[in-house]
Order: sequence, then C-alpha cells, then structure tokens
Amino acid sequence: MISLTINEKEVTLDKPVTVLEAAKQAGIKIPTLCHHDLLKPWSGCRLCVVEVERMPRLQTACTLMAADGMVIKTESEAISNVRRGILEFLLINHPLDCPYCDKAGECELQDLVNKYGPTVGRYKEEKRKVPESHKDQIIARNTERCVMCTRCVRMCNDVQGASAISIIGRGNHSRMEPFSSESFDCEYCGNCLTVCPVGAILSRLYIHSFRPWQVDKEVGTICSYCGVGCSLVVQVRDDSIKRVIPKLGFGLNKGLLCSRGRFGYEYVNSPDRLKTPLVRKNGKLEESTWSEALSIIADKLTEIKGTSGGSAIAGIASPRCSNEDNYVLQKFMRVTCGSNNIDSLSRTGFAAAQKYFEDLLGQGITANIIDGIKNSEVVLVIGGDPTAVNPILGLSIREAARRGASIIVLGHAKGLEKFKTVQVVPPLFKEAEVLEALLVELFRAKGVRAELPFIDKEMRELSEKAAEKMDLPGFDELMKALLNSASTSIVLGMDLIQRTNGHRSLFGVAGITYLLEARLYLLSERPNEQGLIDAGCVPDMLPGGRPMNIPDFKSKFEAAWNGPIPDDDGLTLFEIIEGIKNRNIKALYVMGENPVFNLPGGPFLKDIFGNLDLLVVQDIFLTETAEIADVVLPALGWAEKSGTYTNLERRIQLQKQAVKTSRGMEDWRILSEISGRMGQKMGYLETDDIMREMAKVSPLYADLTYDEIGKGDCLWPYHGKPLRGEMNEVPPVVDAEKDYKADFYLAPEKLLFHSGTLSRKSPALMKICPEPTLKMSAASAGKLGLKEGDRVQFSTTAGSSEAPVSIDESIKDNRVFLSNNFQGSGVMDLLSFSIDEVTKAFGIEGCEVEIKKHGIKA
Amino acid sequence: MTEEVKETINRLIGRFPKKESALLPVLTLLQKRKGYISENDLKDISGILDVPEARIFSTASFYTMLRLKPAGKYHIQVCTNVVCALLGSDAIFDYLSKKLNIHEGEITPDGLFSIVAVECLASCGNAPAMQINMEYHENLDTGKVDEIIDSIKRREVGG
Ligand code: SF4
Ligand code: SF4
Ligand code: SF4
Ligand code: FES
Ligand code: FES
Repeated sequence: MISLTINEKEVTLDKPVTVLEAAKQAGIKIPTLCHHDLLKPWSGCRLCVVEVERMPRLQTACTLMAADGMVIKTESEAISNVRRGILEFLLINHPLDCPYCDKAGECELQDLVNKYGPTVGRYKEEKRKVPESHKDQIIARNTERCVMCTRCVRMCNDVQGASAISIIGRGNHSRMEPFSSESFDCEYCGNCLTVCPVGAILSRLYIHSFRPWQVDKEVGTICSYCGVGCSLVVQVRDDSIKRVIPKLGFGLNKGLLCSRGRFGYEYVNSPDRLKTPLVRKNGKLEESTWSEALSIIADKLTEIKGTSGGSAIAGIASPRCSNEDNYVLQKFMRVTCGSNNIDSLSRTGFAAAQKYFEDLLGQGITANIIDGIKNSEVVLVIGGDPTAVNPILGLSIREAARRGASIIVLGHAKGLEKFKTVQVVPPLFKEAEVLEALLVELFRAKGVRAELPFIDKEMRELSEKAAEKMDLPGFDELMKALLNSASTSIVLGMDLIQRTNGHRSLFGVAGITYLLEARLYLLSERPNEQGLIDAGCVPDMLPGGRPMNIPDFKSKFEAAWNGPIPDDDGLTLFEIIEGIKNRNIKALYVMGENPVFNLPGGPFLKDIFGNLDLLVVQDIFLTETAEIADVVLPALGWAEKSGTYTNLERRIQLQKQAVKTSRGMEDWRILSEISGRMGQKMGYLETDDIMREMAKVSPLYADLTYDEIGKGDCLWPYHGKPLRGEMNEVPPVVDAEKDYKADFYLAPEKLLFHSGTLSRKSPALMKICPEPTLKMSAASAGKLGLKEGDRVQFSTTAGSSEAPVSIDESIKDNRVFLSNNFQGSGVMDLLSFSIDEVTKAFGIEGCEVEIKKHGIKA
Repeated sequence: MTEEVKETINRLIGRFPKKESALLPVLTLLQKRKGYISENDLKDISGILDVPEARIFSTASFYTMLRLKPAGKYHIQVCTNVVCALLGSDAIFDYLSKKLNIHEGEITPDGLFSIVAVECLASCGNAPAMQINMEYHENLDTGKVDEIIDSIKRREVGG
C-alpha cells in the first residue's frame, strides 16, 4: 500500500501508479498536453510539473511514480509561472486563429492558456508560416497549430501500428507529416485525430460545419459495420449527424475506432436512401403507400400459405439488423407464415463455423473476450486478415505482438505483415491438410485430453492414418510455438470455411482448440451475425440456440408465441435457393440483406428469383436484390432506431436512436404490421416490448433488461444456460483430390475500407478507396508483365470484369484477389461454387481465372 | 540499390545488437555514395532494417548533414551562426549566391555547386567559415571566396 499527500489530501493507492494517475484518483486534475490516456507517458511538454517535497526541482507528474510518503503540490505560484512560460513558448509559432479553427471550444491549448495565461506574448519576430494542407481527402492538416506533443505519432506507431506519420525536421522547422507527404497513405483509423489536443489535424467530414458547443445531443451507441461492435458517440445537431467520435475509456474499443466506424457514417444521409415503399406494377417498381404495400404482402403470403403450405415461404434474416428485428422475423416466419425456412447469409461463414464448433465443443466455445488476445503467448491467424475484417480485434493482435507473443499466420494477412513471427503458406487450397497434419503432430505430443471422448477417438484415428510429417517451410517453428504456449488464441477468418470441404479444416481447428485449450475467435464481417443466431434465425434452432427437435423446447415456445411451430427442421440458405429453383419455395422475404450481390453466382440467383410468386425486400437502399423484388419496403438505418446487437465475443450492446426521420419503418415494426394483417397480432409498441419477450422466452436472455445491457459488459452467457456439445460423429470427408495446375485462381478479398451495401454509399470511404483492384503477388504480376496500376481484363467460367492491378507483397501464392464491395464489379459474380455437405456453406476454391492486359487481344 | 550496397549494409547491421541501431551509419553510407538519400533509398532501408519508413524519414530529416535532395558536386555550407554573422557571413552568403547565380538549396545548372546556410561549424575562432564537401575554408572575405570557387572551376573545366 502506498500513501502520499497531494494538495494536503491523503491518497492511498493499491498499486503503483504515476503521480498524475494518483492525483486523478483523488479527484485532482493536473494539466497535461503531451500525455494521453491511450498512450504511454512521454514527458515532452513539461506542463504537468508539480512540486515534490525534498526534491530540488519541479517534477513531471506524468512520469514520476508515486512513492510512499511523498508530499506533493500540484498548484503554486512557481508552478503557474513555469506553465505560463511553457505556454508562451508554444504560442510563439501558434497562429492563434481560434475564431476560425474548428478545435476552438474543445482545444486543450486554448483551455490551458485560458487558465494559466499569458494574456499577451512578448515575441515580436515573425511566426513560422506553413500553409494548411487540404491535399488529403479526409484529414485536413494545419501544422502551424501543432504543439509537437507527438501524440498523433505515438498513436499511429504504438497503438494503431500503422507507423504512417512522424515528426520531420528539427526545431523551428519540425512538423508532423505522413511519409506519403501531402496526403495520407495509411489505414485512416483517425485515431491520430482523437488524440491531437489542438486543431492541427481535423476530419474534413465536419470542418467548418459546426462548433463543438452547438451540438444538441450526444448519443452513446455502437458502430454499424462489423462484428466487433465498437462503442462510439454520435453528435447531433438539428436531427442530423454532425460527427462520430469515440468515447475514451469506454466499451471494448476504449476510445479507438477504425476507418469504417469513424468515417463511414454518411451513408445514413445518402440521397439514394429508399423513402417510400415500392410495388412492382406492369413490370416496374413504382412508388406506393405503406398500406397498399403491406396489404399486398399480407394477402399474397396468406394465399401461398393456404394453397402451398407454410413451407413454400422462406425468409432471409439480416446480420445488419438488431436482435429484436431478427427475433421478430423468425417468429413471423415460424408462427405467422408457418415455416422454419429461416436462414441468413451468415450461413456462408460465421453461422456455419459457429454451429460446427458448438456441436463439437459445446455452446459458447467462441465466446471469448477480444481484449484477452493481447495477453496470449501465441496468436494463430487462419483464413483471413483480422486487421481488415475486424480492425479493432486486429489491434489486439498487434498489441500481443508488441508484448512478445508469437503471431503465426497460416495463409496471408496483410495487416500483420510487420507483426507476424512465422508465416506458413499452405499449398494452394490445402489448408485442411496442413491443419490436420498440425493436429496430428500436436496430438502425438500432447496425448489424449480425455474430456470429449469423441474428438479424442477421431484424433487417434487421424494420427494412425497419417504417415509422415508435413514438410512445409515454417511448419516446425509453428509446431514448437504452439507446443510451448501456455495461452493460445486462434483467430479464424471465413476464407477457411468457404471451401468445398470447409468442415475438414474446421475439425482441424476444433481439435487444436481442444488440445491446447485455446481461445477461439471467429471473425465476423457484420455487426450482428452472432445475434441473429441467438435470436433463432437458423432453421433448426429456436431463440437461445435451443434445438428444434427437442419437443420440450418447441412446446414452450409455442405456448409463448400463441401458435404452432412447424415440425420440420427447415431449410438452410442454399436449400432455400434450391427450393426456389425447383419452384417449391414460392415466396421469399428478405430483410436487410442483398443475396444477389453477396452470394456467388449472382446472375443465376437473379434468374431463379424470377420463379418466385413474391419477393419482398426490406432495406435502406435499392440493392441489387431489391431491384428485382415485387415489393420493396424502406427500413430505418443505424442511428435512426434502437435495438440490441451481439458482437463476435457475445457481448450484447445497445444501438441507440440518435436522429429522427420519416424515411422508413423499423424492420420489426414492418413485420409486426404484416403479421397483424395476416391475423397474428404481435402487439409490440416499442423495441423494449420485444426485448422483454425475448428475456422471457429465450433461455439465453433470461431476465435481461435494456438497463442492464446499457451498463455495458453484458457478456455471455448473461443469465442463461449454455448447452453441451451434440455431435458424436464427424461426417465423412468427400474429398475430390484435385490438382491445382492453372496459372491463376480468383479469390475474394476483404477490404479495410469497405463493407459493401453501406460503405459504397459513404462518400468518405469511397474517397479513401474509390475502386476495386485486382491484387496479386509481385511474382504473378511479373509473370504477366504487369505493373502497379495497369488495367487488366479477367474472366472465369462465370463471367468477366476489369480492374487495375495492385501488387501486394503479403500474397505468397498464385491466387489473385478481388473484393466484393463495389457496385457492378463484385468478385462473387465471377465465382463458381459448391456446397459443403456438413456446414452448408459454399466452397469457392480453384476458380481459375484468365488475366489479360486491357486492350490486348489474346 | 545495388547488391554491393546491400551487402555493405548487412555488414553494418552485423555490428549492432539491434538492426535499427544501424540506421545512422546506413544513411551516412548512402549519402556518401551519391551525395544524397532518395525517397526510394528510405523505402529500401525500411525494408532492410525493419523500421517504418516514416520513422526513417523522421531521423533523416532531423540531421541537416543528411541530405534528402540532390546536391552539387561541391556542396557549400556557409556558417551563419552568431560569430560568423558578426563577422559578415551574410555578405559572404549573398556574394556566393550572386556569383553562382543560385539561391539557398539550389544547384548550379552544370551540377557543380549547391549552397546552404548552416549553423555553427565549430570554427568560430576563424570566422567567417564555410565547408565545401569535407573541406573547411576559414577567415573568409569576398576575395578569398573568388579564389576558392575559381580554382574549383578551373580544376573541373581543365580536368
Ligand atoms: S489515420 Fe490512423 S493510420 Fe492514418 S496517420 Fe492517423 S493514426 Fe496513423
Ligand atoms: S499534430 Fe496534433 S497530436 Fe500531432 S504533434 Fe501536432 S499537436 Fe500533437
Ligand atoms: S472495428 Fe468494426 S465495430 Fe469497430 S469501428 Fe471498425 S467497423 Fe466499427
Ligand atoms: S504531460 Fe507530463 S510532460 Fe507532457
Ligand atoms: S559561428 Fe560560424 S563557425 Fe561557429
């Protein structure tokens, strides 16, 4: 225990901290400028100086450790003089353009000078002149205002790990500059903007549009982009979003954000938003009224249910919508329409993997705290780039690297290039073999764990079958690291799952997880992939992950929902598509999803969706799927409605309404309106009513309330009871041994700056990353005689497209990558696929592609 | 960057416990070889030393003795610090500038000369002073400047 006196106040500490922190705990504020809670102490500005008894000179509180018996004064005439002196020096070169500067009102320098002076400067020489730089599309840089605290540089280096900026020059001439000179060539996380104390770097999304004190409302909510679910604050004026900023020290991101979360919010106000319902008349979508549109849907669904039965109706849920929305959708499908055909595009990755792991290892196996990654000894990254898919989770991996963890990349992950310890590149599309080999080696070294006999048996069989060790560069190092690790995190991306035999890789991962007692993390591209599973938007499970085929569960829900639930298991996504093709499914209800664009084989889907008697799409934009719908319903977007979301670590969080709009209706409200028209009243007035019902019926959410969720840290299993593993047999591997001999294969790429439907309507993200590129290794480019930026045409059996080439050093094989984010040129349309019999996800391996330089005839 | 340079760099790296520590010797080496350090050099060094480009740029731009722009074959550094200034370095600088017909930081069209004003060259006892490449010239006046420059020109044209 340490006791000291600060400003005559006794302070006791339970652990050693700096004097600055000790004072803070005692409610005493010491002024700082170069210090920031997100950064390590630096002691560059000297503003935090304090008097310490028996120490000859003033000491910097931000670096001085509090010691027992210290007597400290944080304010005195001598201290004020020093602070005033420092500030006077800082103002020598400061333009003092506060009336024009956007930081005024929330500027730390302004506040400090206001408190300590000086009121007039004595400096008579000319001030340094550096023109303001507007070359960058997102960040405005005015180095005249810079106070050289290096907070931005330390943020970019030590926390974000992008190392894109630095202080260049010396003395009077020094200034902050990106290496890329005028414009930033970086990850655009904007975290440097968060820490800049003055108006030297500002977001161009809001400059000159409002003053900090003109904000009417600040709403603490969460991001709408990915499965991390970062906390952030939306600042609103006149019912329009002025700015999105992080909330320091709050939520799982503790004040950090990524480019999408910080700069991607403008889509909410896109002129392309749907405003009224649209109904197809004479082959054309025409503006309509809510009552007409809703009646058409209710009548048609009733008719189809009557003539063909409920099983002719199917629904697609949305990982962009809230738990409440998804809960109401599955209830609508099951009870009102009488169909268990409810699934989502998460089937193509997250939900598929999640189910496989839970069946094998028990419910909640992927419920691990993101923050825990940074304390791992080994982080194994497989099948994706976490820093692009889930950027804030990616930062935890980078932090683990800084703390000395081994970062092992199986495959490639561009954002970890500077942080990885070992990279093992499996032979093309042979990830499963590598994982199995790894599992066998680990099993031989570790032996039976004897907790889940079924997995032990399976591993023994595998190891008896496997003859020799895998001969792959880095493999031994990888083995050694895993064997010596006392704390392992495995981060799994969707690329591994989206394979013809994806489940085989999943078994490998499950086995490794089990043997090493590792923490397993599933990357999640959308904000509510986990939530929709928990809400019951999977065909064979009711809310709370309760299997449909256990009669007890079913009858409980039937009683609560006032209606029968069909007996069958329902169809998964691709079975629904098959059903549409065979005309067994006659109506498809799509909520907040764009299957025509987001699934492989878009043109085929477009074609067979023509078979439907009714295609309803509710969304905020006229997506590729909405364009071919019979009825399109405008929904409300992020910040326009409230609801809960469950992130990839299974934290339930509240997304709150910040602005009001008449543009659309909440997804659940639309459904409940239709349900009422079909004779099944749902009776919800607000989202709270839905949550209350969920807390009653879902064993997972037992007694959960908004109040409790709002307090944060509402983590799995809440008050609920998880179930144990179910699977007792590993399905056979149907392996079509195939040689991959083509020159190039096409594969999907996940971009840091985009998500698709939302990001392509976000001007800032479109400025940062305006068009798709075909990424390939330097070797591939060399082989084709291409250089960075050359335009190429490329074609697969499914279609063709064109894009400029971008060379990516992190790619180590002959795959070429294209994203699926830009209208009219998504990779999904070019891919052919098969379905994994076990996970029911699609497999997209071995998609041969021919590449030609633009304009050159072969 | 040639293989030979890369080899020398790797030798330099070998002298230090951490790769990053070789940064200054590597920068000095590159400057010695072609008179300045180019942006591509910075990128290459970043790859070799595993240090972010921005940090290398920060270091390289901090030292005035490291040049990030090409210089003349004869790079003239004129001291304009206190003692030299008191003894007329401004006039020397202006004279040179006019004589060579270039401004501070520029190179003569024939690529022979470039001039910059620098801080104390530690030759205050013999101020005003200037340094041409590695050579010192002290107790300057305009006549002496003429002599020095003209002799270089003669040498270059003659040679
Ligand atoms: S936006 Fe992020 S990556 Fe870019 S300079 Fe700032 S901190 Fe670095
Ligand atoms: S730009 Fe801002 S954060 Fe960066 S050094 Fe200058 S004042 Fe500090
Ligand atoms: S990491 Fe995900 S949740 Fe966090 S700000 Fe970025 S997109 Fe949003
Ligand atoms: S805050 Fe302590 S020296 Fe800057
Ligand atoms: S002042 Fe010119 S050499 Fe010292």
